[in-house]
Amino acid sequence: MFKKISTVLTLLFIIAGSLNVTLAQEAEKTSVDMADSLRADGKIYVVVLVVMIVFTFFSMYLLLTDRHVKKWEKEMKEMKESKK
Amino acid sequence: MQWKRLIVLIHKEFAIELRQLYAVGGMLLYLVSSIFVIYMAITLKNAQIHPITWNAVLWIIMLFTAVNSIAKSFVQEKKGMLLYFYTICSPVEIILAKIIYNTILMTLLISIGILLYSIVLGNPVQNFITFSIGSILGALGFAASFTTISSIASKASNSSTLMAILGFPIILPILLLVLKISKNAIDDLPINNSYDDMLTLSAIVVISITSSLLLFPYLWKSS
Amino acid sequence: MIRLIEQSWWKYVGIIMVYYTIIAGFLIKAPRLDILNETIRNLFFHVAIWFAMFILLIISVVYSIKYLLNSKTIHDTIASEFARIGIVLGLIGISTGSVWARFTWGDWWVNDPKLNATTIALLIYLAYLVLRASIESDEQKARISAVYNIFAFTAMIPLVFILPRMTDSLHPGNGGNPGFNAYDLDNNLRKVFYPAVLGWSILGFWLASLRVRIRNIKEELIHHID
Repeated sequence: MFKKISTVLTLLFIIAGSLNVTLAQEAEKTSVDMADSLRADGKIYVVVLVVMIVFTFFSMYLLLTDRHVKKWEKEMKEMKESKK
Repeated sequence: MQWKRLIVLIHKEFAIELRQLYAVGGMLLYLVSSIFVIYMAITLKNAQIHPITWNAVLWIIMLFTAVNSIAKSFVQEKKGMLLYFYTICSPVEIILAKIIYNTILMTLLISIGILLYSIVLGNPVQNFITFSIGSILGALGFAASFTTISSIASKASNSSTLMAILGFPIILPILLLVLKISKNAIDDLPINNSYDDMLTLSAIVVISITSSLLLFPYLWKSS
Repeated sequence: MIRLIEQSWWKYVGIIMVYYTIIAGFLIKAPRLDILNETIRNLFFHVAIWFAMFILLIISVVYSIKYLLNSKTIHDTIASEFARIGIVLGLIGISTGSVWARFTWGDWWVNDPKLNATTIALLIYLAYLVLRASIESDEQKARISAVYNIFAFTAMIPLVFILPRMTDSLHPGNGGNPGFNAYDLDNNLRKVFYPAVLGWSILGFWLASLRVRIRNIKEELIHHID
C-alpha cells in the first residue's frame, strides 16, 4: 500500500513539475545577465539531456547491483533454512 | 559516585606522577624545547614577532604539549592496575579523576609555558583578566577532550599517531575559541566583547565532559 | 530499518526525485540575482547534498548509540557504512562548493567558518575510519568506534551550527548575509529544493544500505564457515 501511494505521489510530482516549467516562460527584466541565449537557442535541453543520460547509467548500475545483492541474500537465507 | 573515592583517585594520580619525576620533567622539557625552537626560528634575522603570530604559535605549542602529556594518562597504565581499579571504583569516578588531574596539569603547563614564552618573545597581552579566563577554559577543554581521546586511543594498536589523528579535529573548535579570546585580550578589548566566545567555550567544555562521563563506562567494559 | 533496507519502493522514489531535480533544476525559472546569475541552481545540487550528508551522519550516530545499548553487530555495520557514505557525500559537497566559490566568490577556497567547520567534520569521520582500521578484535572495534562517533558528533555540532552564525561569513544566512529567504526560496526554488534533498538523501541511503547488505552477507558467510 505504501508503495502504491508513493508511486502515485511521485507521478503527481512529475506532472506538477512539468506544468511549472511550461507556465514559466514569461518575459523577464534583462538587467541581470542570465543564460537567456542558451534558453532561446534551446541549448538548455542539451544540458538537461546530457545530465539525464549520465544519471540514467548510474541508476541502472545501482539497480543491477541491488538485484545482484538480493540474489545472494536469497541464497544465504536458503542455505540457513536447509542447515536448520 | 562517592566524593571520597574520587579524591583518593586524584591523590593517586598525583602520587604516581611525583614518584617518577621523569614523566613531569619530560613534559616540562618538551615545553621548554619547543619554546626555544620557536624563539630561534623567529628571531633568526632579528625579526619582530607580530601579535597574531605570537598568539597562534603559543597555542600551537600548548596544543602539542597537551597531546603529548595527556596521551600518557591511559597509555602508560599497566594492564593489571587498570583492571584492579575497575573492580573497586565506578568508571565515572575514574574518568572524572583523570580529567580533573589533567586539568590541573594543563593549567600548570600553560602557566609555565606562557611565562617562558613571554620571557623570550615578549608579552603583548594588554587585558590580563580576559587572557587568564580564556587560558583556564582552554586548559579545561584540552584536558576533557584529550583524556577521552586518550582512553579511546589506548585500546588500539597505533596509539601515539591515533592520539593526534583523533584528537586534532575534535580540539579545533576549542582551539579556535581560545585563539579568539586571547586575540581580544591582546587587542585590549574590554571583557564584554569576549563574553559570547567564553560562553560558547564553556558550553563546549560542558558538553565534552558530559559526553565523556556518559561514554566512558562503555569503553572500559571491553578491556 | 533492516526490513526497510530490503524493500525497493523507496529506491524508485529516490530515482524519480533526482530525475525531477535534474530536469526542473535546469529548466525552472530562477530569480535573477547579481553575482550568482544562473549558479543559484547549484542550490539543488551542492546544498541538497550537504543536507543529505547530514541526514546520513545523524543516522550513523543514532546507530552508534543503538549499538552501545544493544551490542548487535548489524547496528555497528549500519553506523560505519553510513559514516562512510556520509564522507563520500561530504567530499562531493566540498568539491561542488569549491567550484561554485571559484566563480562567485573569486577563489577556490576562502577563509570561511562554514568551510572550516565542514572540513573538520570530514577529518573527524576520516579519523573514525582510521580508528576502525587500527583495532583488531571485531567487538572492540565496534564498541570503541561507536564511542568515538558519539563523542566526535557532540563535539562537532556546536562547531557546524553555532560558530558560523557568530562570525563573519560569506555563506548566506550567517554573519550578516541575508538568509535563504532573500533568494526567493518561497517561490519556485522551494518546489525543486525539497524534492532534491529527498532524492539525494535517498540515493545516499541506498548506497549505504547496499554496503550494509554486502557486509551482512560477508558476516553470515564467515559465520557459516566457522
